[in-house]
Amino acid sequence: MASNNNTRRISEVGLSDSEPSTQHLVYGVLHGISPPSSNFIDQHGSTAYDFGELEEALIPKVLQNDGDRKPLLGIHPPPTLEIFPSWPVRYQPTPRAHSHQSGESTTDSGSAQNTGSQLEPESPVSSSQKSQPNRRSSDPSLHQKQERSDMAPAPSDSTAHHHNQSKTLVDKRGASSSTERVGSKTLDAKTLRRLAQNREAAKKSRLRKKAYVQQLESSKIKLTQLEQDLQRARAQGLFIAGAGGGSNVSSGAAIFDMEHARWIEENQRHMAELRAGLNAHLPDTDLRLILDGCLGHYDEIFRLKGIAAKADVFHVFSGLWLTPAERCFLWMGGFKPSELLKILVPQLEPLTEQQFIGICNLQQSSQQAEEALSQGLEALHQSLADTVVGGGSLGDPPNHHVTNYMAHMAIALARLANLESFVRQADNLRQQTLHQLRRILTVRQAVRCFLAIGEYYSRLRALSSLWASRPRESMITYGNSSQLTSSLQMIQQQPPHQNHFSTF
Amino acid sequence: MHYQTEAWGAYMAPRTAGTDPLERVERLAAENAVVIFSISSCCMCHAVKRLFCGMGVNPTVYELDEDPRGKEMEKALVRLLGSSQAVPAVFIGGKLIGPMDRVMASHINGSLVPLLKEAGALWL
Repeated sequence: MASNNNTRRISEVGLSDSEPSTQHLVYGVLHGISPPSSNFIDQHGSTAYDFGELEEALIPKVLQNDGDRKPLLGIHPPPTLEIFPSWPVRYQPTPRAHSHQSGESTTDSGSAQNTGSQLEPESPVSSSQKSQPNRRSSDPSLHQKQERSDMAPAPSDSTAHHHNQSKTLVDKRGASSSTERVGSKTLDAKTLRRLAQNREAAKKSRLRKKAYVQQLESSKIKLTQLEQDLQRARAQGLFIAGAGGGSNVSSGAAIFDMEHARWIEENQRHMAELRAGLNAHLPDTDLRLILDGCLGHYDEIFRLKGIAAKADVFHVFSGLWLTPAERCFLWMGGFKPSELLKILVPQLEPLTEQQFIGICNLQQSSQQAEEALSQGLEALHQSLADTVVGGGSLGDPPNHHVTNYMAHMAIALARLANLESFVRQADNLRQQTLHQLRRILTVRQAVRCFLAIGEYYSRLRALSSLWASRPRESMITYGNSSQLTSSLQMIQQQPPHQNHFSTF
Repeated sequence: MHYQTEAWGAYMAPRTAGTDPLERVERLAAENAVVIFSISSCCMCHAVKRLFCGMGVNPTVYELDEDPRGKEMEKALVRLLGSSQAVPAVFIGGKLIGPMDRVMASHINGSLVPLLKEAGALWL
C-alpha cells in the first residue's frame, strides 16, 4: 500500500485545483516521483502508473517534438517544466472507471465512487460524454474523496490501461473542449499540457499577488492601529523618550517635547489654512476667524510652556525643545520679540503712518521690557553666584564648613526657583507682542504677518535639518586659516548661481 | 528712584500704631506718581525697577524686607493682588497696576506710557 500512499499523497496534492498546493505539488512531484520510477514499478507492480506516462509528462516538450511517446527509461528530466497537478497519478481511478464502463467494479468501491464516476473525468468514456465545464467545475473535494475511495480498490485493473491513462491525462487538463482526442493525441497532449501549465502558473501568480495584497493591507491596518496606540499613550504621558535621548530627560520635558512637536504640526495646518484663505480672497470676516484660531494656537503653546517650566525650568529655559538653528537665537527660553519684529517689519509693508508708529512703539517697548528682564536675570546670576561662593571659601573643600555650605545651598536653590518666573515673564512678553501685532495690523496684513512668522521658523527648522545632515568633509578646513581664506575666495570667485550657498 | 524708609515717617503726618497694613499700602501708593513695593533680594523686582528707570521714570520704592511692618504689608499685598507673589507691586497715580506681567502687558499694548504721563511721571 506504500504505492497507494505515495500516489494518494501526490494525487491529493494534485487534486486541489486551487492554489498554494501547487508548491506542494512540485515537492510531491519531486519527492514522490523522483526516486527512479522503477521503484514504483517494482513496488507496486500493478500500480496505476504507467512509467511511460510518467516520463512523458516529465520530458521537456522540446525534446518530444514528434509527439511520440518515447519511453526513456532512467531519464530524469528537469522537474521544473512539469508543474502540473494533473499527474498521471490521478489515474488511479481510471481502471475503475473503466471497469465501470466494462460493467465491473461496484464491488471495489463505495457509493462515493459511484457518484464520483459521474464526475470522473479520467475515464475517457465519461469525459467524452460530459462537457469540459462540468469537469472543471466539479468539486475538488469530491474529487478528492473520490480519489481516496478510488485508492481502495486493487489496482489490478490498472496494468493494461495505458491508452486510457494517456487519454485521461490529456482530458484531465484539457481546458478546451478537447473531448475527442483520438488522433494525434500526444501532440495535443503536449499543447494542452503547456496550456494547462500556463494556466496554473497564471493562477499561482494571481494567488500570490492576492496573498501579498492582503498581507499589505493587514500590515497597513496594524500600522495605523499602532500609531493610534502610540498617540494615545503619548497623550497620557506614558511615552518617555527625551528629545536628546539619555536617561536624564525628565518626563515633563519629554511630554513637552512631544506636545511641541504636535503643536508644530497643528501650526502648519493653521498656516495652510491662512494661505488658502488668502489665495481664495476670502472676506475679512472669514479671515479674521482663521486668524483668531491661529493666535489662539500660539496662546496654547505659551500655556504649555508655562506648565513645562513648572515641571522642568531648565529644559524650557535652555531651549532644549528647539532645533539647533532656532536655539541659536535663544533668549530666555524662546524667541526675542524685538528681533522677530525687526524681521517682520519689511514683510508687512505697506503700512499706514499710524501703523508704522504703532509698530515702532511696539518695537521700542518690547526692547525696553527685554532689557529689564535681562537685567533682572543678571541680578539673579549675581546673587546665585554670591550664594554659591558664600557657602565657603572656594579654596576650602566643601566639608570644611558643612553647615554654612548646606545653608547656602538651600538659599541657592530658592534663588534658582526664580528662573521659572523669568521664563514666564519672557513668554508673557512674547504673547503680548503677538497680540499687539494683531491689533495694529489689518486682517489681511495680519494674515501675511503670521504666515511670515510661520515660514520663518519653518525655514530655521529646515536649516537645522540641513545642518545635521551636512557632509562632514567640507571644503573649509578650520585648522588652517590660509586654506580657509583661499576657500572663501574660491567661493566668492564663483559666479553667484554656482555658489552652493545660494541654493536656499 | 528713591527709597522711602520708616525713618522718614517721623517727619510725616502722625500715624497710629496698628494701622491697617492695607490702608498703609494704599496711602503710600498715593503719595507718589509711581510706587513700587519690592523686596531687596527679589530679582524680578530688580527687573521692574530697571524697566521704569529705562523709560526715564523715577519710581518710589518701598523695600518691604527693610520695613518693620513689611511682613504685614506683604500679606496685604498678597490679598490685594490675588496671587502668592506680593512683590513687585506697582502703583501709578495711586492706582494699582499689578504684578510684573500686568506691567509688561500694559507696556506692550501701549497703555503704560499714557498712564505715566497722566500721573506726571513722564514729560516727553
